[in-house]
Amino acid sequence: MRTRNIAFLMLIFGMVVGTLLCAVTYAQNAPEASERGKEVYEESCAHCHGTEGRGDGSAAENLLPKPRDFTRGLYKIRSTEAGELPTDQDLFDIITIGMPGSSMPGWETSLSANDRWELVAYIKTFHDGFKEGSAPPREITLAGKISYSEESVEIGKGLYTELGCIECHGNIGRGDGTSAPTLTDEWGFQTWPANLAQGWNYRGGSDTEAIFKRFIGGIAGSPMPAFEGDSFLHFGLTSEESKRLTELENKDEMTEAEDEESGQFYEKMDEAVNIALNRVEGIELSAAEQQIYDNAMKVVYEKSWHLANYVKSLTPEERPESAIGNNVLRSQYVQGELPTVDDAAWETFEARHFPLVGQVIIEPRQFNPTIDSVNVKSFYNDTEVAFLFIWDDRTHTIDETDEETGVTLEDALAVQFPVKVPQGPTAPKPYFLYGGRLPVYLWQWNASASDQVTELTAKGINNAEVQEVQGDVQAKGTYTDGQYKLWVKRSLKTEDKKDLQLESGVFVPIAFSAWDGSNGDVDTKRVVSSWYSFVLEPMPSSKRFVYPPLIALLSIGLLIGLRGIVQRRNS
Amino acid sequence: MKRLSLFTTCLIILVGSWLVLRFVIGGVISVPIPGSVIAMYMGLIIIAILVHVSVEDSLFREFLRPVRETLVDDRRRVRRRVVAVLIPLFLLGYTYSIIAQRASPPGSPRDAHPSPPLELTYKDEVIGSMQDVVNPFRHYEKDDPEAFKAHVENGRRVYYQNCFYCHGDHLDGQGHFAPYLQPIPANFQDPGIIPNFQESFFFWRIAKGGPGLPAAGTPWDSAMPIWEDYLTKDEIWDVILFLSDYTGYQPRTFGEAH
Repeated sequence: MRTRNIAFLMLIFGMVVGTLLCAVTYAQNAPEASERGKEVYEESCAHCHGTEGRGDGSAAENLLPKPRDFTRGLYKIRSTEAGELPTDQDLFDIITIGMPGSSMPGWETSLSANDRWELVAYIKTFHDGFKEGSAPPREITLAGKISYSEESVEIGKGLYTELGCIECHGNIGRGDGTSAPTLTDEWGFQTWPANLAQGWNYRGGSDTEAIFKRFIGGIAGSPMPAFEGDSFLHFGLTSEESKRLTELENKDEMTEAEDEESGQFYEKMDEAVNIALNRVEGIELSAAEQQIYDNAMKVVYEKSWHLANYVKSLTPEERPESAIGNNVLRSQYVQGELPTVDDAAWETFEARHFPLVGQVIIEPRQFNPTIDSVNVKSFYNDTEVAFLFIWDDRTHTIDETDEETGVTLEDALAVQFPVKVPQGPTAPKPYFLYGGRLPVYLWQWNASASDQVTELTAKGINNAEVQEVQGDVQAKGTYTDGQYKLWVKRSLKTEDKKDLQLESGVFVPIAFSAWDGSNGDVDTKRVVSSWYSFVLEPMPSSKRFVYPPLIALLSIGLLIGLRGIVQRRNS
Repeated sequence: MKRLSLFTTCLIILVGSWLVLRFVIGGVISVPIPGSVIAMYMGLIIIAILVHVSVEDSLFREFLRPVRETLVDDRRRVRRRVVAVLIPLFLLGYTYSIIAQRASPPGSPRDAHPSPPLELTYKDEVIGSMQDVVNPFRHYEKDDPEAFKAHVENGRRVYYQNCFYCHGDHLDGQGHFAPYLQPIPANFQDPGIIPNFQESFFFWRIAKGGPGLPAAGTPWDSAMPIWEDYLTKDEIWDVILFLSDYTGYQPRTFGEAH
């Protein structure tokens, strides 16, 4: 009887404790995220980020950069220090603004602020690190900001080389460093270093503070490290010590004293690196260690501001104006010879900027383009026209074999015109993708034969033919620091009926296709544009100096005449 | 206070009307009015003024008085000189600006709602007449909500694997490829789109894409792919269900099909 009572009591006790434990666990794992957050997430986010937040929604397969996997707690764009989670505000901002250059849109206009905050709470439930009771993330301080100046940019430029940015981002920042094609992210997907000349594609925005935060906090999950510990050159040394160490390291032979001196530097660095590691691990630092860490970071912060100013100097403030309806390439008239490829005359005016998008119409398609745009300038004289096409490509691919298909890949550009210029606004243009019922006239340039342009006629993207008669089209292509420059020259008029004939003042549709071999571009897999406009800008009419004065004189005459009439009547 | 002369009043009315047309109606209240329309209104106003001032001889004389004075009266010498400088100067600048203007490319008007063919086809298979074909899964909405939901979900998958690049995450035509396409991708959140067409129309536009537009729909600039090359018939019907389910707009119908 007694035993049964005890057993019964124990059972009750067990049930109570079990329920309590469950309740506690539940409270920890599911914080205040409301049903609304889940609802909005499933309606607006799950198709890319997956119902479980693993970044494996149905759309993810065709996307690069991949949608974020929320379960890992690795967030690229943060205002927090190395190894920290983002703040709620960081998450809210990304949802609101989106990530330029990726498929993540901003939700400011399509979701209410309240819904966006609900999303923040819900997204946090995917990762345990956000559990209630966790210490708030350490935020990056912007207090010591060094404002933008020529001197700071110059210092930053030196640091850009010294700190090894060049390896991935290339000599002048176009993302064309030697290791650029080899990079992968935490999940093993290919990732390209940012082209620093295109600030409009910076995922976290291109203001100096944003750039600075990417240095201090790193871009988690990507190869871009946080400037801390052994990811930062000579971490723990002062700027002077760092200079001295570089000097010593560059010596062919060191004296014993110098050997000892550098040994001391290495010890100092090791200590600082270990402290930084401990700090990221969450180990409490002693006052002395904290001091060493603070001193090391002071150097990092200062250098990062200079570097941020330098990076800021590499990009225009905004994407060049390119609204499709009034984006016109105007060729400028010159008398005499047209400028050759290196002529300084090309530098005298801004190029027109033509954005390109992935070709997703005909298989094989390109969903994740790496070529952003092509910039174009043009001159013409009485008989010829010359173009300069400029576009960024992180790799110079001439002859690379696709591992999967065995196809040879190379970089290329095609410039497209209609064979016959449509007369009048309602006259049909050829189909923008290599023509169709109406043919197009094309210049095809390949990186493997960089001083040659082939004339094609096409009646569809899979129906392009090399012209039997190759005219007098001259070309010269160069590749430097992640940028192609292609110079092309042709006569305004040709004998070939399949060629476009050019005439001053006539608006001609123009479109582009480009291939980045290292991105798997081949055949229809490429980036393209819709039709834009091109015109040989007529010389400003000399009539402008004749008619206006004539009309002004006429009006004076009229006034005098009128006065005469009135006077005569009065008398 | 001196009363304004008739001429000044008319001048004020004229300039005032232009300002109202150009900046108030065509700016504050609504989108800018085309120049030719403004010119038409201004012409009417000038005619009205001329009719008004010329009904009586005395009124007309009164109207012309300031003009005559400016021209010949020696007390108005300053005004005369000012006018003699300003009018030629204005004409000089105006004609120069017109002649020196850079030409802009011809616009490309297009048929926003091209007329569909009489018969709806998928590849070469005839589905039926455009007028009568209905979405074969639409009836699940009433008959079998679970099955309907499954079709909508499949449509969602199809949409986010294929369409959102241009038509956007939010179906508002603001996908990340959209800013650089001309014409811009359809905005399904626009109340003028889904409710105005039958589901068979959407099937036609999706299946045949830009290249399938009738000759009247040129210039052929639409970047819409020929989706029958990539999607099954059922997938196209499903994605149409998703479009209306997500936006809450019902496609147009012509009563119950029997």
